[in-house]
Amino acid sequence: MKRDWGRADQAVRVGPRSAAVLALVSVAGLMMFIWPLLVRVEPQSMQHGPDAPFVFMGVLPLLIVIVLAELSEGGMDTKALAMLGVLSAINAALRPLGAGTAGIETVFFMLVLAGRVFGAGFGFVLGCTSLFASALLTAGVGPWLPFQMLCSAWIGMGAGLLPRRITGKAEIAMLVGYGIVVAYLFGLLMNLWFWPFITGVEVPYHSGHISYVPGDSVWENLHRFLVFTLLTSTAGWDTGRAITNTVAILVLGPAVLATLRRASRKASFGVLPTFGLPRPDGRLTGPLGLKD
Amino acid sequence: MRTATYFLPRELHPAAWWLWALGLAVAASRTTNPWLLGTILAVAGYVVVARRTDAPWAMAFRMYLYLGAAIVFFRVFFRFVFGGAEGETILVRLPEIPLPEWAAGIRLLGAVSAESLLGGFYDGLRLATMVVCLGAANALANPKRLLKAMPPALYEVGTAVIVALSVFPQLAESVVRVRRARKLRGGGGKRFHVLRAIMIPVLADALDRSLRLAASMDSRGYGRAGMVDARKRLVTGALMIIGLLGVCVGVYATLDGSTPRYLAGPFLAGGLVVGLLGFRTAGARVQRSRYRPGQWNLAEVVVALCGIAVAVVLFTTSSVDPTNLNPSLIILSWPMLSWAPLCGVLVGVLPAFLTPVPDTEKVPA
Repeated sequence: MKRDWGRADQAVRVGPRSAAVLALVSVAGLMMFIWPLLVRVEPQSMQHGPDAPFVFMGVLPLLIVIVLAELSEGGMDTKALAMLGVLSAINAALRPLGAGTAGIETVFFMLVLAGRVFGAGFGFVLGCTSLFASALLTAGVGPWLPFQMLCSAWIGMGAGLLPRRITGKAEIAMLVGYGIVVAYLFGLLMNLWFWPFITGVEVPYHSGHISYVPGDSVWENLHRFLVFTLLTSTAGWDTGRAITNTVAILVLGPAVLATLRRASRKASFGVLPTFGLPRPDGRLTGPLGLKD
Repeated sequence: MRTATYFLPRELHPAAWWLWALGLAVAASRTTNPWLLGTILAVAGYVVVARRTDAPWAMAFRMYLYLGAAIVFFRVFFRFVFGGAEGETILVRLPEIPLPEWAAGIRLLGAVSAESLLGGFYDGLRLATMVVCLGAANALANPKRLLKAMPPALYEVGTAVIVALSVFPQLAESVVRVRRARKLRGGGGKRFHVLRAIMIPVLADALDRSLRLAASMDSRGYGRAGMVDARKRLVTGALMIIGLLGVCVGVYATLDGSTPRYLAGPFLAGGLVVGLLGFRTAGARVQRSRYRPGQWNLAEVVVALCGIAVAVVLFTTSSVDPTNLNPSLIILSWPMLSWAPLCGVLVGVLPAFLTPVPDTEKVPA
């Protein structure tokens, strides 16, 4: 089997051009997440440092919109569309299950499994639509939404890019490992983005010791950030998320993977249905209603 | 324009409410003056109470208020816990807790000054106000109608989200059905087993449903790939990639103060414009008629203009009178309020009087 890029049987095909757009958006998006570590401020432009995050809050949604338009540019299969919708609904239903109980985040394991089965492009779009739909349902639209969408899109995409050959128990082990890594990375990135907002930016009249200091060296700020995130969220939220992912993938993983694969086979993405033999002139005779 | 028809009860276009709320949020991001921020909060709250329906998303406005309160609280609380002794006016001296070596430079508790607490309060209030403004948009704009007004390039993704929103209630029904079937069979078992025995049938049911839905969408012409010639697609792709390259350079230059300034703002804005042009050409392939498209009448214009006006006033006054928009934290004093920004913010309350009331008779579409 060839590489994942543009495999014909994938629910959402990622051609070389879509891959380029995805990569560029990921680079720009990542910079918007880790900006507190990147900022190098000249003394005279000190007051412009803290303006940047407000600009990013406006720019990131536009980037997500562009990449989604590019991914669906060739026109999406209706089966992929319906599958996206239904899986997003399931994710949106899973999400409030964990809300309120410290760190039990139930949205990711389904994202990982679906990305694994349906491929990287589908995983990316599913990450975006799941979080968007759940935000609409639970009225959680806010400045954090684009950041959460991009993060979970990466999670779904990464799951689709894991090596294909591994199967059986080894596959579950790999997915569990991925789930744990992703749980901590998600916490780290979301914290990093929000860190300067919650502790305040270091300014002459206040030097909180875990605050962000614009213009300080990367290592200084990274050290401060790691202490902040260890103190506030690693023990509770991130570990809770990692445990939820592990348990959910171990217990439900094999069965969910089998169910999703069965659905994927039944949907037979990328295969144009024909009645009997193709006509001699090579044209197709129209879509065949799926037998159930 | 006759006033009688203007004030006929109807639901406004959701984009108008979003423009209004974003205008308020942008205005809030320009100031840390607590009087102004309080006025913005009051304006948003008043309009929400005056013009919301009793749909579930409208009732969630309270959640945003709680969240805003939590943001302010944590901001101030962190100043207490992680030391905020900078400044002249020390309020309390708490006992300091020493920390191990790896947490070098971090202090727990200790002296707390009025300046640092006030700084935390101002910054927190600004963020909380922005969050509440977005909450107001959520409460006033019907999300389903907003999805209907999606730009054509996002047609597919929008359809997927609409499918998600309409499948969502069916999941609960599916869970009930599976549980009833289990009870009839007298199934017991351990907790994890029960989880699997409910989750998997529900999932399988939902996936089967999605294939049936796809078949019925196919037969109604949904998701058909339009015909676009290769050159047009090449232009679309090139525009998107060039635009995104520009955005990458712009973002980097914004963050790195040592690169020339002309690489920052202009590249970011230019890249976005080019990318959005690509987005528009990508939408050209989708040619579909809309069933009952959302109306954009005078009332929508009024709402949107009110929001934009608030943002514009605060942008212009910040260059004239920056001290009152961002009260000083070095010399403690009562923040002053000048007339111009206050009147500007109060323009935002006009939609509560100048718009038709929402139509509560009909079930929201």
